[in-house]
Amino acid sequence: MVNTNLRVVKLTVYCLGIYILISIADLLFTFPHNVFTKVNLISNIVQSPTNQLVIEKKDVVAPIAIIPLQKKNFNLYLQKGKITSFNSDTNTTSIKKFIEKIASLKSGKKKRKIRIAYLGDSLIEGDLLTQTFRRLLQSEFGGAGVGFVPITSQVALFRQSVAATYSSHWQDNSFKTKGNQSALYLSGHQFFGPNEWVKMSDHVIKDTAALIEKTLLCGHSSNPLTLTINKSPTIIHADKRFNRIVLRKDKSKEIEVQFGNQNVPIYGISFESEAGIFVDNFSFRGISGIEYKHIDPNFLQLIQQENPYDLIVLQFGINVMYKPETTNFSYYANSFEPVIKSFKKSFPEADLLVMGCTDRAFRYNSVYSTAIGIDSLIKLQAALAYKAEANFYNQYATMGGKNALVKWVEQTPPLANKDYIHPNIRGAEELGKLLFNAVMKEYNKFTTTSL
Amino acid sequence: MPSFDSNAFLQQFLYDPTHPLLFNDGFFVFFFGAFIALYYQFRHNIPVRKFIFCFFSLYFFYKASGYFVIVVFVAAVVDFILSNAIYRQTTQQRKRILLLLSIFFNLGILIYFKYTNFFISVTNDFLKTGFNPLNIILPVGISFFTFENLSYTIDVYRGDFKPARKFSDYLLFLSFFPKLVMGPIVRAHDFVPQINQPYVIKEADFVEGFFLIISGMFKKLIVSDYLTLNFVNTIFDDPSRYSGMENLFAVYAYALVIYCDFSGYSDVAIGIAKWLGFNIPPNFLSPYQSQNIAEFWRRWHISLSSWLRDYIYIPLGGNRTSNKFCFALIIVFFVGLFFGIILLTSISVFFALLICLIALLIMLLPALITNDRSFIGTNFNLLATMLIGGFWHGASWNFVIWGAIHGIGLAGYKLWEIIALRFLPKFKSNTFNTVLGTILTFQFVCLGWIFFKAGDFTIASTMLHQITFDLQPALFIDFIKGYWSVVAMMVLGFFMHAIPNHWANAVCTLLQPLKLGWYILVFFLFLLVYGYFKSAEPVLPIYLQF
Repeated sequence: MVNTNLRVVKLTVYCLGIYILISIADLLFTFPHNVFTKVNLISNIVQSPTNQLVIEKKDVVAPIAIIPLQKKNFNLYLQKGKITSFNSDTNTTSIKKFIEKIASLKSGKKKRKIRIAYLGDSLIEGDLLTQTFRRLLQSEFGGAGVGFVPITSQVALFRQSVAATYSSHWQDNSFKTKGNQSALYLSGHQFFGPNEWVKMSDHVIKDTAALIEKTLLCGHSSNPLTLTINKSPTIIHADKRFNRIVLRKDKSKEIEVQFGNQNVPIYGISFESEAGIFVDNFSFRGISGIEYKHIDPNFLQLIQQENPYDLIVLQFGINVMYKPETTNFSYYANSFEPVIKSFKKSFPEADLLVMGCTDRAFRYNSVYSTAIGIDSLIKLQAALAYKAEANFYNQYATMGGKNALVKWVEQTPPLANKDYIHPNIRGAEELGKLLFNAVMKEYNKFTTTSL
Repeated sequence: MPSFDSNAFLQQFLYDPTHPLLFNDGFFVFFFGAFIALYYQFRHNIPVRKFIFCFFSLYFFYKASGYFVIVVFVAAVVDFILSNAIYRQTTQQRKRILLLLSIFFNLGILIYFKYTNFFISVTNDFLKTGFNPLNIILPVGISFFTFENLSYTIDVYRGDFKPARKFSDYLLFLSFFPKLVMGPIVRAHDFVPQINQPYVIKEADFVEGFFLIISGMFKKLIVSDYLTLNFVNTIFDDPSRYSGMENLFAVYAYALVIYCDFSGYSDVAIGIAKWLGFNIPPNFLSPYQSQNIAEFWRRWHISLSSWLRDYIYIPLGGNRTSNKFCFALIIVFFVGLFFGIILLTSISVFFALLICLIALLIMLLPALITNDRSFIGTNFNLLATMLIGGFWHGASWNFVIWGAIHGIGLAGYKLWEIIALRFLPKFKSNTFNTVLGTILTFQFVCLGWIFFKAGDFTIASTMLHQITFDLQPALFIDFIKGYWSVVAMMVLGFFMHAIPNHWANAVCTLLQPLKLGWYILVFFLFLLVYGYFKSAEPVLPIYLQF
């Protein structure tokens, strides 16, 4: 029998020797496609200029020009934890119209509804972030109810703030289907369901004495609509292009609606108490916000007439950074600018708040770190807000800046998912609290200066 | 121009919690080079050779888990003393007291490090105690070496084995670096006699060792890591965001990941051991080729399942009868199952009771049909063993659920065997039935993996929900297009798995006459592939549900 133990030693020593030589060669000369860099045996004990990732710095706000104005300071967008209107005098209130309204609500002078339309991508899916934001606002300023609920949703079963069940043949026309998108709601959907039903139960209302309006949001129908609400037949009139019809106003937190044989666009059902503050969650996974250009501005104005909003929040950007190496987002700015303008025009009574996107990480050199394009993207988002005289809130800076999300994923318990994109329920709770705190800073500024 | 960083160089020798030492670290290449050179140099001087081996093994553990190396050393000292003491005692009673001491000591270490926080959270949940969890870090490999210690003292107590006379023998058995961190669980009676043998490697062992190391690394570093990072982790983290199709494939991919990860690491350990003149029995035998669940457990993590058989299943009563401890555990299990179903799902009391009754019936029917009471004992003991085995994998209810699924599955298979034998005389094993059995077994094992991998019960039930109610088969083509590299890796992984074992042996025989240069070439080719996948652009999670 041959003893091959020397062969083991020889193989190990030869491989080690050759391996070291190739590693040195790899550090001195660059191999094609860096084939050896990731398995270099000695790269972590030498300092080499090639180890660092080079990020191209370009004029990142192109094509949006930042025109310096005397009373404005663009760089305020870098602040963390604060909403800015870019006013150099940071004692002035941002999102001012909205703050005035909530202050008057709080003082009890005026019983009214204040609505926030929170538009976003999968970051706020399942009412994440918004459910926290809503809860904190309602406990501070009053109001009960989850706000707008779409008829069907991919995450209906996982949404904790509302339980919605629906029949199976609803037809969904949305940003992602081929059809006329000019009269979609802010949710990006409209549903058609002759003889279909929906049943919803609000899970956020704590106040059992409050009267809750269960409101149907729907499109035009030339004939009166026959519905069965909680088993009792009702006839309603939806003769406008956009209709807001209170179906029930009572203490119940539930409603069941069976639709008749008419083919009317249905948007959703809203749960609101008579007065207070309401946050409508409009999440649409995978979008970047430019999809809103398809909605007819006249239709948006009708929405504002019937179901007025006081603050429009735009939470987008994560889906724009879908490739690790992207640093130039000018195409996005070109398409998103008209959307901001259109919102500005269609919702004149509302303040506009552009959210700088949250942190997202990619694997660079097999280590997860913040997307290299994020600074450019946020600067661009801020530039859009600046140019449109909207407000801006830097979520990325607020959640901790560079590599915040990596920390969120890796800490125990984790605050974000391992896709290195989405904060989980705990992380979203944190983001909701941070945003609420930022709103309260503006509120406190307003109340102390106006005294 | 790159320059040598002496500080970074020195840091390499210290434990780094963010980079615990694994076989695929650059440092391990140097470690093994230095070790093999010294080991070969002193191969004829057995005490020195042993000292070198122990030193390198403990240093390996230090690099993998820091100062917890002291725990390994102390455990070795205590068990060495206790086992010899047990051997020397003349009365059974004294032997028993010493054995209990050893069990208490080893389980104590394991429970303290692994289960303290779990028990704290359980008391907090049920008794509303509000204890703060302790900041306990789990030393790597603790589950493996405490089991090795336990089997060792139990074997000595049973008189199956004469304890090692030299402490160095015992220390090496326990700390043997190839298997210290992730197994396989080695038995002393197999291993200790090999320590003092001459360093001889047969030609076939050299080739087989090489084959195991490279194929093991391939499974672990390429198949498993690629699928984990690019697909499995993302879906398992938040299954509600993905379609049933993506969830289902994530489960299949995870089946591959856990196999490639675990068996890959085991193969490397066994391969390295072979190169050092030690034979460790195989730990996995293409488990997904199993035609039934009982066969699966003879092919999956064999060192653990045989350990559980010898030290839990048989002491509980084996295939004859169950002891009181087992009965108590089974009663607790069924009570827990009933309340668990009610608490965790929205099922009514009636259905919860029904599920419990069906589970119980599966356990009892074999005995009722055959009129042989020993089947009850067997099934209860198997279930109890599986529950304990599940809990061994980690301090979480999900592992207990996983164990329960397998325990009931084994009983269900036993029932099927009896039914087939008694009432289906025409049932015979043909190709169709073999394939069907293999597919069903794989699906069943995958059902278990959902609970094994999911972070908590909610995630597992969300996955099951998505797969059952939101499968969207129409997405299949889109899925393949969107995740083509993941699918390709899965196909490769399952193809490798489907290769019969004797083919691998044939390859090894073919390789034997090859010159050393060819082996070097294969090694560097592997390295290039590894480097390619390490730098491959991550597969981005996509949404298919539009």
